Amino acid sequence: MKRLKYQLKNIRRDKMCVLTFLLPIIVGIAVSLLSGVSLQTMSETSFGILKNDLSSETAAWLKSNGCVTEYETIADLHQAVNNPSTQMIGVLRAGRGIRSFRSGDELEVNRVIADTLPWLYESRGEEHMYKNTVVPVSSGNDGLKSLLIVITLVTAMFMGCTFNAMNIITEKEDGVTFINRILPMTARSYLIQKILLGFIGGILSTILTALICMKLTLSQVVPLILIIILSAFISALAGLYIGHFSEGLMIGIVYIKIIMILFLAPPIFFYLMVPGHSVLFQFSYLLPSSAAFYGLMNMANGSAIVPGKDIVILAAHCIVWLLLYLFLFRRQKE
Amino acid sequence: MWKKLSHLLKKDFRLMLSSKFVILALASLVLYSCYINFVYVNLDQEIYPVYLYDPQAKQTALSDYMTRVDTRDALESACADRYSVGIDLASDQPEFYMLASGIDTMDHYRTIWAKAVLNGNIKGQAEMIGTNSRSMKNRREITAEFLFFELSAVGFLGLASMLFKEKQMGVIRVHGILPVNKAVFILSKLLVFLLSDLVFTVFLTALNLGLRHGIAVLPAVLIQAGILSLIMALTGFFFAIRLPDFKQFSLLYLVIAIFVTTPVFLAGQTGVSWDWIVYHPMYHLFAALKAAYFSVSTVKTSYYVTCLGMVILLFLIAHQTLTREMSREG
Repeated sequence: MKRLKYQLKNIRRDKMCVLTFLLPIIVGIAVSLLSGVSLQTMSETSFGILKNDLSSETAAWLKSNGCVTEYETIADLHQAVNNPSTQMIGVLRAGRGIRSFRSGDELEVNRVIADTLPWLYESRGEEHMYKNTVVPVSSGNDGLKSLLIVITLVTAMFMGCTFNAMNIITEKEDGVTFINRILPMTARSYLIQKILLGFIGGILSTILTALICMKLTLSQVVPLILIIILSAFISALAGLYIGHFSEGLMIGIVYIKIIMILFLAPPIFFYLMVPGHSVLFQFSYLLPSSAAFYGLMNMANGSAIVPGKDIVILAAHCIVWLLLYLFLFRRQKE
Repeated sequence: MWKKLSHLLKKDFRLMLSSKFVILALASLVLYSCYINFVYVNLDQEIYPVYLYDPQAKQTALSDYMTRVDTRDALESACADRYSVGIDLASDQPEFYMLASGIDTMDHYRTIWAKAVLNGNIKGQAEMIGTNSRSMKNRREITAEFLFFELSAVGFLGLASMLFKEKQMGVIRVHGILPVNKAVFILSKLLVFLLSDLVFTVFLTALNLGLRHGIAVLPAVLIQAGILSLIMALTGFFFAIRLPDFKQFSLLYLVIAIFVTTPVFLAGQTGVSWDWIVYHPMYHLFAALKAAYFSVSTVKTSYYVTCLGMVILLFLIAHQTLTREMSREG
C-alpha cells in the first residue's frame, strides 16, 4: 500500500498523465453537448427548392417528407445539390406537378427517391385508404451520437494503456528500472503496482465519462462496471507490454498509436459493416476491444439484454494475456 | 549560405530516414489506400426495403423492391431494423407496419414509398447535373480527409520527434555557437517535411483517384497540401522548441488530433451546419483542400493572402523562439 502511494505521488507530478485522464471526460462533455438535432438532420432526406417556385401545398408536401431548404437563384440551388457533402435533391415546378434533379453522386436511397419523387407526388391523394401502424421505439434515433459516446468510452479505457506505457518507459529512461533491480522489490509486486495504477486511472476516467454521457437504467450498471473493469485491466496490461518492448519514448508512442488504431478501428468497422451472425464478425472477437465495444454499443442503444457473452470473452482475454505476459516475463528473467 | 543549406538538408533528410516515422507514413499510405479501395468506395445505403405478407396471394405483380415473407412474425422481425417497411395484406384493409425511425418525415416518406411499391407505380428518371459518380465522389472525399489528417496530425508529430531527438543530442546547443543562420536551420527542416508531404500527397492521390483523375487535380491539391504542410510544420516547430519534452508534446498532439480535426471532419463530411465553424481556422484549410479535390474553385485571393501572412508570422515566431532557446541553452 505504501509503495502504491509512492507510485501515485510520482504521477501527481506528471501533468501529462493527469491530463490524459481528464481528456476523455472533456470529450464526453463535448459529445453530450452536441445537439441531437444537428446530428439528426443528417439522416433526413433533404430537398432544395427555389424561392417562389412551388405552390405552398407542394412545399408542405415536401416538408412532410424531409427537410426543405429554399434558395434565391437557380445557380445557388444547383451548387447546393452538387455540393459533395450533402445528399440534397433539387425540386422544381413542372406544370401542375414537380420535376426533380440530382447530382449523380448520391447514395442509392437518395437516387431512388429523386427518380421517383414526381410520381409519388402525382399519387399523393390516396393516403387515407390504408391502415398505418408506426410502432414507437423508446430510444430516439441518435445512432451517431451513441457511436461517438462509445468511441470516447473505449478511448478512455485505453488511457490506462497509454499511461502505463509512458510511465514505464520514462522510468526506463530515467534509470529507475536499474534501481528497482537492487531494491528488495519482487517482479510480482512491480507488476501488480503498475497494473493497478493504469487500471484505477482507466476505470475512474471511463466511469466518469459514462456517467456524463450515458443514460443508464439500474439493471445496466453492473454489466457496465464489469465491462469497464475488464477492459481497463486489459489496457493496463497492454501498456505493460508496450513498456516492456519499447526502448525509447518515441518508439513507445509509435507503438501506442498503432495499438490505439488496432483497438478502435476494427470494432467500429465490423460493427457498422459486417452482419452480426457472420463468421468474420466472430473473428473480430479476437481483439479484446471488440467485445467491449459491442457490449457498450448495445447498452448505449438502450438494449435491455445483459451482454453476458461480451463479458465472458473479455474475461477470457484478460486471463490469456496475463498468462502470456507472466510467461514471457519469467523466461526473460531466467 | 546555399552550401550550408544543402548540408543541413542532407543531415535532416538522413535523420528523417533513420527515424521510424518514414515507416509510419508508408504504413499509413498502405492502410488508407486499402481502406479507400476496398471499403469506402463500396459504401452505399439502399432504398427502404419493403416486405409483403400476403397469405391469400392478393398481390399478383411483385415489384423488384418488394420481398415476400410467410408469416406476420417474419414481417415484424424483418422490420425490426427501423428502416424497412412491412405491408400486411391478411385483412381487408391493407396495413403498413414499421418501427418508428425517430424522424417523422422519414416515417412519412417510408409509408408513401411502400404504398407506391405496392401499387407498382414507380418510374421516372431525375435529371443529373453533376459530373461525379458515387464511387468517384467517395474517392475524392475520403482522400481529401485522409490527406488532411495525415498532414495536420502526423506531419506535425514527425517534425517534432525529429527536433526532440536533436534537442536530446544537444544539436541546438551546438548550433548556438556555429556560424549558421537560424533561418536556414528552420528552412532546411521545413523543406524536408514539405517535400516528404508533397511526395505523400502525390502517392495518395494517384493510388486512390487513379492516374487520370489524379493528375487532373494534383496541381491544385499540391498547392493546398503545401500550404497546410508549411503551417503545420511551423506550428510543430514552435511547440517542439518551446515544450521541454516529447511527452508533453504528444499530449498537445492528442488535443490537436481530437479537437482540431474532428469538428472539421464532421462539418466537412456531413453537411452539419454549425455557424461557429467559420471561426475555426483549420476548417478553411480543409475546405480549400477538399475543393481542390473536387476541382471547384471557390478559394478566394484573400485566403491565399491570409495563408501567406500566417506562414510568415509563424516563421518569425519560430525564429524568435529558436533564438531565445539558443541563448537559454548558452
